[in-house]
Amino acid sequence: MLNRFMSRPALQKWLQTLMADHQVVAPVRVEGLVLFRPVKGPEEVALDYRNTTMSPKEWFFPLSEAIFSYRREDNKVILEPKEAPQEVVLFGIRPCDARGLAVLDKPFLQAPADGLYAQRRERATLVGLACREAGPTCFCDSMGGGPGDASHVDVLLTEVKEGYIVKAVTTKGAKLLTSAQVQEGETEEPVLAGLRPVKSRGIVEAMRRQFDSDYWGKVADRCIHCNLCAFVCPTCYCFDIRDFPVGERIERVRSWDSCQSPAFTRIAGGYERRPSKGERMRQRFAHKLLYFPGQWEGVLHCVGCGRCVTACPVNIDIREVIEDVNALPERAATASAAEKGGDGRA
Amino acid sequence: MKDYAEKIQAHARELLAAGKVDCVIGYETGSDGVNARPAFVYRAEDVGRLTFDDTCTHDLVTYLRNRKGKATAVVVKPCDARAVNLLLLEHQLQREQVVVIGLVCPGIKERAWGQKGEALLGKCQVCAMHNPPIYDFLVGQPIAEEPSPDQRYAPVAALAEKSPEERLAFWQAQQERCIRCYACRQTCPGCYCTECFADRLDPQWLGIRVDAPANGMWHTIRAFHLAGRCIGCDECQRVCIMGIPLSLLNRKLEQKVDDAFKFRPGQDAQTPPPLATFNPGENLGVDGGHGC
Repeated sequence: MLNRFMSRPALQKWLQTLMADHQVVAPVRVEGLVLFRPVKGPEEVALDYRNTTMSPKEWFFPLSEAIFSYRREDNKVILEPKEAPQEVVLFGIRPCDARGLAVLDKPFLQAPADGLYAQRRERATLVGLACREAGPTCFCDSMGGGPGDASHVDVLLTEVKEGYIVKAVTTKGAKLLTSAQVQEGETEEPVLAGLRPVKSRGIVEAMRRQFDSDYWGKVADRCIHCNLCAFVCPTCYCFDIRDFPVGERIERVRSWDSCQSPAFTRIAGGYERRPSKGERMRQRFAHKLLYFPGQWEGVLHCVGCGRCVTACPVNIDIREVIEDVNALPERAATASAAEKGGDGRA
Repeated sequence: MKDYAEKIQAHARELLAAGKVDCVIGYETGSDGVNARPAFVYRAEDVGRLTFDDTCTHDLVTYLRNRKGKATAVVVKPCDARAVNLLLLEHQLQREQVVVIGLVCPGIKERAWGQKGEALLGKCQVCAMHNPPIYDFLVGQPIAEEPSPDQRYAPVAALAEKSPEERLAFWQAQQERCIRCYACRQTCPGCYCTECFADRLDPQWLGIRVDAPANGMWHTIRAFHLAGRCIGCDECQRVCIMGIPLSLLNRKLEQKVDDAFKFRPGQDAQTPPPLATFNPGENLGVDGGHGC
């Protein structure tokens, strides 16, 4: 099959060229972790990683940022918007994470769009790297993606022995590739990562059926209600907003939040909508596997990157949850058992 | 350690069947088929899930705070047993409501997904307490203890050798990585405040902004709140996916308290904690010299 090929030295040269007139964000090794960081030279870029510790979500929807600031001047309130983001090349994104961005687009780009997110998405070109090897908890192909899925990147590179097979997916990607040394040829397409399938078929209906199951309280028993699963997740998008005085100005800061945090639904007066561990646990999985697909034409709010599975300190494994829920008997529970199951309040 | 699972199961079965507890918190094999995870067993017929081996990293005592007023049995390693003592001393547990299944512990291994770890955890390499200081049932043959205080504080001493500028740079680099997921707090048996200072809105001590200075404040205040209380299970460091060496902070403060008061938390549930005790005229013995 006719395809295009870029040698390893040509990739290094291309990266160098890109770095001259773009901000390039790529996987970098930092103290034993692999993280997306801005890079200045091609030698900083890690190419032999399965996936990054944190998902590339943080470059579009940062962990914490001032979204605008305001100050008072002559009895008027002056709003100061955030500076427009730079053009960015996000190099080395995995197909699951690119799909994660497409999932995030749904809530963030729906009118009225989130301005900062929209600008960052518009000014970013995604250079994807197909997965030759799967991580031990990868399951992208059970969630609608795949190790060579080019659907959500601008360019897809697939590593072969001497270099990379190059696919320009969008016009933006083709434009980026004009500075690359690419040859036409018939490079043999390699075998991509093999993945252990997760029985996810019918999960949306099963989630609806098991809404009141005591299963949620049981899984929640061992949950310690940290925010790790949501923070490593490429699709979780909950946040909190507060104002911070900085000298004469006030900055409005937005930071990631998570439904697993005990204070997440606490409102004025101290009322908590989800006081029990089981309700909080159900919220996480129901958002991913029931509410989100219900709102967005069946799209699951999980891309199978497996990060939450490895990051969870107590081994709450979404693959296991999906299979358990699918296997639960039809009428497993009495009403509101999620509140009663397991340990209850925490 | 081979017969541990069998013995834990026997105790659990008896306790549940007799209605002495309504839950046994122990370990079961996790979803990777190799490493252990916490398990909650409510029925005598389910005790077969319980296991124990050198992958049982978690400090299960942290779950007892969810079970106030309910009789519970908990499987503890010696370091976790110190957390039981800490919580008893601080009136967070009622002795008669907790059944402690204490294990003699030869050490726990580093975790890797789907694989048996090889190296002992850092805390286990310098462990000086292989026998649980509190238990109702003991599993295993007590091991002769070999105290090794110098080794325990070696990483702290190595860091203290560096210049203040180097130490500042070291900690700043760590703080820049922190994502403030609060897994360190959530897993900690000693972090049980109903409302953590970090979550408080009025007054707002910390707030939601995540950056290196705020993260530094978070870790520093948390470490100070654990001074003379941290029992050294190192779970905060284990759960940190950003690889922040939190045990360095905790060990430093542990050493300070040890030097000044000859006190290590969790040894028993009676000795008054020095930082919650005031003796007129006492020499605090704080030299103010080495930073962390």
